[in-house]
Amino acid sequence: MSGQLRIVETGWSTTIQDRGRTGYAHLGVPTAGAVDATAQAVVNRLVGNDERAATLETAGGLLVQAIGPLVAATSGDGVRHTLQPGDRLRVDPPSDGVWAYLALRGGLGVEPVLGSRSHDTLSNVGPPAVHAGDEFDVGPDPQTGLATDLAPVRPTSRIVRLWPGPRVEWFDRGLDALTGRSWTVGSEVSRVGVRLSAAKFGRTRSAPEMMASEGLVTGAIQITPSGEPIVMLANHPTTGGYPVIAVVEPDDLPIVAQSRPGTTIRFRPA
Amino acid sequence: MQRRAFGPAAWLVDGVAEPAAWAGALRSMDLDGVREVVPAERTVLVVCERPQAEAIGRRLDSVRVERSEFVDSTPVTIDVVYDGEDLRAVAAATGLAVDEVIERHATGVYTVAFCGFSPGFAYMTGLDPVLHLDRRATPRTRVPAGSVAIAAAYTSVYPSPSPGGWHLLGHTKAVLWNVERRYPALLGPGTLVRFRRVNP
Repeated sequence: MSGQLRIVETGWSTTIQDRGRTGYAHLGVPTAGAVDATAQAVVNRLVGNDERAATLETAGGLLVQAIGPLVAATSGDGVRHTLQPGDRLRVDPPSDGVWAYLALRGGLGVEPVLGSRSHDTLSNVGPPAVHAGDEFDVGPDPQTGLATDLAPVRPTSRIVRLWPGPRVEWFDRGLDALTGRSWTVGSEVSRVGVRLSAAKFGRTRSAPEMMASEGLVTGAIQITPSGEPIVMLANHPTTGGYPVIAVVEPDDLPIVAQSRPGTTIRFRPA
Repeated sequence: MQRRAFGPAAWLVDGVAEPAAWAGALRSMDLDGVREVVPAERTVLVVCERPQAEAIGRRLDSVRVERSEFVDSTPVTIDVVYDGEDLRAVAAATGLAVDEVIERHATGVYTVAFCGFSPGFAYMTGLDPVLHLDRRATPRTRVPAGSVAIAAAYTSVYPSPSPGGWHLLGHTKAVLWNVERRYPALLGPGTLVRFRRVNP
């Protein structure tokens, strides 16, 4: 395989992602796509791409080398780079973030599967996992100008707005069970979801002992039997078996996705 | 039918008799701004483009299920070699002979209620109540693709190799999931399915 970009070191949890796969959830196919869609959109804009262009997503340690001349942008610092053949670029999240994005002008030239260039970490639909030595082409030049972009590349707040979920009335304090206190982000970094510290969630009398699995959306907060809230991220399974108490405001989901293990976040009603 | 807000851009529909049929009826209305329609065991999730979510929510009451489109559809027939590792255990647990287990599974007419677990994994209802068993106490770490299995009120075919706790009755050469096909899943919600016993 030959191309214009070579992966020198894959780093952690590095995958190819665009905005995800729509229309196949009823067949069990997760949406996937970037866990921080805002950061991805910024790097795509920085190189003049359409927001649908495929990028590399990494939890850090990604090292790439240009084979041909490339225009690239990284989300950790929000910087655009002009790379000459042989130039190397390291992609890391900022010290207070989890995920970083690398956009190339033209987008990563991989074939879409079921309408998306996202690697699905649960079921392996989409482009394969990324390995050291892989080489990628870039897509056609978008024929756009290169603008500066003043959008923040990462969230500055740690307060997350919530909407009621479909099973909020099964919890005796409703949304108040989540607001008005802080939550510690669990230690596992995953594209599927973010687990928060456990708490006591009192159930109302209408709450069933067992529930049948039901569909999930990105941002849904499931409460496990042990009282751990799990915030579903882009690669969540299509259905889940725990009640959904709330849904994170989509514009605030990057705050959750980018919260490092051990940090705290707070919720308030949307 | 009851609809509950599922955040700012989705609805969870509860209290419909047949979620797969209801989901099919909603799809056939072809409403603008519907991203996903996901039937599950008792509910249907409707994911919308955010600006259209309110308008779509108001239309959900008008969904009418045309049962005929599902009942009259030609069943998909899946050829099965009944040589599964759990046949004897299922026979023992149900008090049936192995041949009776096979007979009862192979004569059923099944409907895909919903999909999940992995792409193309169809939860089919219509299983003979005598064959309703809890999942295996210890799931297998790897179940081969094409394994025909039962658990609780459902039967299914594993579309790809995966861990699994269902009881294995046999295997099929049918390809349940292939992203190269126009319709990657052989079985989607609402599909009627029959199994046919064949020799190895």
